[in-house]
This record gives sequence, C-alpha cells and structure tokens, in this order.
Amino acid sequence: MLEVAPIWQPHIQQQNYRLLLEAMSRPGTVHPIQGLNRTSNSLLAVLAALLDGSVRFCDLSERLETSDIALLQAIQTVPEEADYLLCSGIDAPDFQPRLGSLASPEQSATLLVHVEALQAGDLQLDLTGPGIKQNRICNIQGLDTDWLVKRESWVCGFPMGVDLILLDQQQLMALPRTTRVEVH
Amino acid sequence: MNQEHFGFLDEYAKKEVRRATLKAVAIPGYQVPYSSREMPMGRGFGTGGLQLTLALIGRGETLKVIDQGSDDSVNAVNLRSFIEMTCPGIHTTIRTEQADLIQSRHRIPEKPLREDQLLVLQVPYPDALVVVEASEDRRKLLHGEADYSRLLVKLYEDIVKFSEITISHRYPTRINGHYVIDPSPIPRWDVPKLHNSPALILLGAGREKKIYAVPPYTQAEPLAFEDVPFRVEDFSDEHGQRRSCVRCGCNSSFLDEYVDSATGEQVYRCSDSDWCNQQLEQQQGVEQAVEVANG
Repeated sequence: MLEVAPIWQPHIQQQNYRLLLEAMSRPGTVHPIQGLNRTSNSLLAVLAALLDGSVRFCDLSERLETSDIALLQAIQTVPEEADYLLCSGIDAPDFQPRLGSLASPEQSATLLVHVEALQAGDLQLDLTGPGIKQNRICNIQGLDTDWLVKRESWVCGFPMGVDLILLDQQQLMALPRTTRVEVH
Repeated sequence: MNQEHFGFLDEYAKKEVRRATLKAVAIPGYQVPYSSREMPMGRGFGTGGLQLTLALIGRGETLKVIDQGSDDSVNAVNLRSFIEMTCPGIHTTIRTEQADLIQSRHRIPEKPLREDQLLVLQVPYPDALVVVEASEDRRKLLHGEADYSRLLVKLYEDIVKFSEITISHRYPTRINGHYVIDPSPIPRWDVPKLHNSPALILLGAGREKKIYAVPPYTQAEPLAFEDVPFRVEDFSDEHGQRRSCVRCGCNSSFLDEYVDSATGEQVYRCSDSDWCNQQLEQQQGVEQAVEVANG
C-alpha cells in the first residue's frame, strides 16, 4: 500500500492545526511540530495543515520542492496577492503583503518566516498584548531586525495588519498583529 | 474503507474553519466570514459551534457539551451523540474539569476554566450592531472604525426609559478595546468570565456564517457608562438575602427560577448541573467523613 507521509494525514494535520491555534492564542509560546520525518520540513507541515485550492500562496524562501507545491493544491501568486507567504528570516523583507481592509481585515497575509532557531540566539523580544498574561520573553536566531521594523509598519493600523508564524526546523511560534514587540 | 470520515466534515471544510479561527484569534472580536457547511441538523441548532468542534477535536480528547448549563437537555444530548458517532476515539464527560473542549449553548461553566481548556460557544446572532444598523456592509465599516456611538445611544435610551440598561443576555462586550461582540445569549453573570480568561473562547454562528474569538488574557469590557456601571444578575430575595439553590444549597452560582408545580412556589436551582452535582457530592463526602469520624 502507498505510504502517505504523516504531515498529509488528517489526524496529524489536526494536531498541527491545534498547535498553530495555541501558538496564535498565546504569542511567543513555542510548540514542536508533529509528523516530521526525513522527507518533510516544518514549513511544509504547517502549509499541509492549512492550505487547499481556495488559498493563494507565494514561496519567497525557495524551501519547497515543486512536487510538494503540487500536493498543496494552492494557487501560486505574487507576494502582494498571497494569503500565505513563505519567507526566510535572514533576508530583510522587500515586499508589501496584503493588510486587509478596514471592513475585512481577515483578507490579510499570514507570513510563515523560517528562522535558524527559536528559543536561541541574541535577538530577545519582550512581548505584550492579547494572549499574554503580563509579558513574555522569547529568543530568535536568524531573523533580520528589519523584519521587526517592517512588521511594525504593517500592523500599526489595527484591525489591518499581518500575522507572523515563525518556524525553525522543529518548532513554531506566532506573532499575531495584536502583539506589541520590544527588542531587548 | 466504508468507514465514515472522522469528524463528519471533509478536510476542505475543516481547513476553512481552521483558517478562519486563526484569523479570528489574531483579530480579537472580529467576525470572520466562512462558508458554513450544511449539517444534518437545522441551522440555528448549534451548527456553528458544531462545525468548530468538529474542526478542532482529535482522537483521545475529552469533550463536554452543555445547553443552558445542563448536559442532559435535548440540544446538548443530540450534539454530543452526533459528535461521538462521527468522531471515533474521543471521550465525553459531564465534568467541567475533565474536559479538553467544552461546547456550550448560553452558559459558561461556573467552575473557572484552565489554560489547557477551550470553550466553544454556539451563537444565534453574532453582530451586536444589528439592532442599530440593518446593512451588513455599513456594520462592517462601523466595526472596523470601532464606532459604537449608536449602540451607546441605544443603551442610554434604556436608562432614560427604565433607569437602567435592560439587556439580560447577549450583552455587548468590547474585546481588546476595539470590536464589540455579541457574546452569544450568555447571561450577564457570565460576561465577566470573558475578561482575561485563561482559556481560549471561540464563537461560531452557523446560520450567519461567522466565527469570532476572545483570546486568552484579553480585555473584555461590557459596554456601560461611568455613572451607570455594568452589573450582573442580583439573586437577593425581598429581605436582601442571597437566594440559594434548593437542591445543593449553593449561594454563589447562577440560578434558574422554577415554579414548584405542587405548591405554586418559586424555587431556585443552579443552572450549571455539573456544578450542582459536585456541590452535593462534596456535602455528602463531608457528611460521610463526619459520620466516620464520629464512628
């Protein structure tokens, strides 16, 4: 029988979705991604849990194989029109993501940013906002600081903005648009 | 492979609900539109909450379903047995503290929820502005601008007419200082539980095709005025004494009013049946312990 990689199986996708929901609800908390093996990377696992043919996405990170993209079924597009954007954290962002509109702020991009490591590195962020009881400190390795500057300009007009999901090889965390970030 | 698909919904429907919940959490209180699939029950019978639960739940998780605080009323029983039938490998419970997921119609459990729990509320009317603005396009703009002046005028008119705000349930509540939500027909009693809740709260309106969220540790302020503050239901009797549950004696819970059919008297009982049972069990445990001690 054909063996389907775990990340394409519905019960693993359900688990990864719940991690994403937990990460988005409690910004800065780090969660291990489920179902990873030799053939699957963390970005693909998250995309597999969320994407289908009704979603437009754009891979700026060039971390996906053409065969993986076909399995995702999503429509490929330019960064300015993507619902989901894959990026590399070491490169400063040089695109303008969708921020949604005042009436429909959900029509905004979710940015999946691949970094070297979460819970490591010199970049220390102090987070406050919804989902955080007082404040939360998190460390990130391999994120160009220009990301934080650009993010600030994208999220300053609430309810419009973008939501970030940061991933390393194994784990993920989220920075929704409501999170206030201070660099330590 | 004739087995029914886990969770009834196909994976595309689940993914759409899942994407909507993530945006709902990221934009606290904003009503995210979604397609709301046809379910094998009428819209308006909790299909919004049901679709959320089916998209959320996984094998090994424990679910509690309540309707007006009770695990045994008809809406809760139907939804619970449907979910049990379509999600093999999940567990159900009536104990609030044992549940990973709680789907509820019109109540938030008395027992405070924990960070590792998730509450799904069934919503009939998701938009608090519908009483003052008929056009959805206009309402979406008012929400975006956080312009709730007309809603406040409505509340003020209540004060002029009745000397207080007369909304008993579905009390408009401002989330994270921006969007005002209809928190579903929970009584005022439950509204303060939305504020800085340790648990994530997701709200689903199946008929109106909207999903919205109150993330954990997020501000939730019922609309009120400086000189007319928000207050919850008052269960004092004519002598100013707090009424207690006729069954378990609890005098700190939200009470339902009944008329005793034999005597015609008004009686009060806990609305949260699990809370009431646990109060009784505790008392019986104490009585037994006293009996044992007295030997």
